Amino acid sequence: MSPLLPFALRALLICGSLCTTLFILRRVRQAKVQIEDSIFWLLFSGCLLLLSLFPEITTWVARKFGFVSEINVVYLAIIFLLLIKQFYMSVRISQMDSKLKSLTQKVALNEEKIERGKLDL
Amino acid sequence: MSKLLIVIPAYNEEGNIVRVVNELVARYPQYDYVVVNDGSRDRTAALCRQHGFRLIDLPVNLGLAGAFQTGLRYAAENGYDCALQFDADGQHKPEYIQPMLDELENGADIVIGSRFLTVKKPKSLRMLGSYLISWAIRLTTGQAICDPTSGMRMFNRRMVEEFALNLNYGPEPDTISYLIKNGAVVREIQVEMGERLTGTSYLNFARSVEYMLKMGLSILLIQWFRKREPVTFYYPERRD
Repeated sequence: MSPLLPFALRALLICGSLCTTLFILRRVRQAKVQIEDSIFWLLFSGCLLLLSLFPEITTWVARKFGFVSEINVVYLAIIFLLLIKQFYMSVRISQMDSKLKSLTQKVALNEEKIERGKLDL
Repeated sequence: MSKLLIVIPAYNEEGNIVRVVNELVARYPQYDYVVVNDGSRDRTAALCRQHGFRLIDLPVNLGLAGAFQTGLRYAAENGYDCALQFDADGQHKPEYIQPMLDELENGADIVIGSRFLTVKKPKSLRMLGSYLISWAIRLTTGQAICDPTSGMRMFNRRMVEEFALNLNYGPEPDTISYLIKNGAVVREIQVEMGERLTGTSYLNFARSVEYMLKMGLSILLIQWFRKREPVTFYYPERRD
């Protein structure tokens, strides 16, 4: 048991990460997310749960690498992870953008073709 | 006899598609087929048009799951009784279609053309993923699927409708595992497969590992939580 973490705070952390996990599982269950995306969030919430159950992990890492405070480890890890995720999402949005553009163009070109066909008849 | 549609998803297969479809047309004219061109960057679509193949030409790339789903929607809307997933690269051999069809008529919902039903699966690095996925499916469903990654799968009408309209129904082992758990009858038939004729496979080492991890996590973690919604289907052109 980490001496730095009061019981109430620890209960709050565990409760929070459990709720997050349940929320994500519910969404998966209702088939609102693609499996590829839900895998990331499930693993992410699993990590949160793990850290709230065993805060000693953070303490160990902080000592090992010389962090001033344990919370810095948590901030650094989560911010970095979300940054990477953000980058991948940005790439995906770009791809969706170009797909949407080419779809719109395709629809418009087809429409033009149909209208021209009608005029010819 | 049930009416079968062979769905051939094709992505950059200009070197193989003509030979594969021509063989089907020449030797097995009793089956209908449709090529789904998944936004290829090469001449796949042009070659299909030039040879007069039946073609659905997707304007953008959707990936295998999206392309195959397009074919199944086509099957559902045009009143086909069953559909077969068939590779455009020449690995799948059409002589096994009839035995698979027979098995489907014997009451299976999904028939997998399996390379390792009576033949021993080689213990190579390439097959490691297949072993792991087999193990995961066995663990979660209790059923042994010898060749879960085989891309030659046949689906009956019920499955076609389910695949055609839902999210997360890729033609992959995790969907198979999920459907077994929900009472679908999945059987395997021993088939032989060839090497791809030309071109390069989509799966390199990194992609294989990624695919395996995704399938493993999906089968072991996610499929437990999925809810199966009964969907009512309405296709006006079909009267039962």
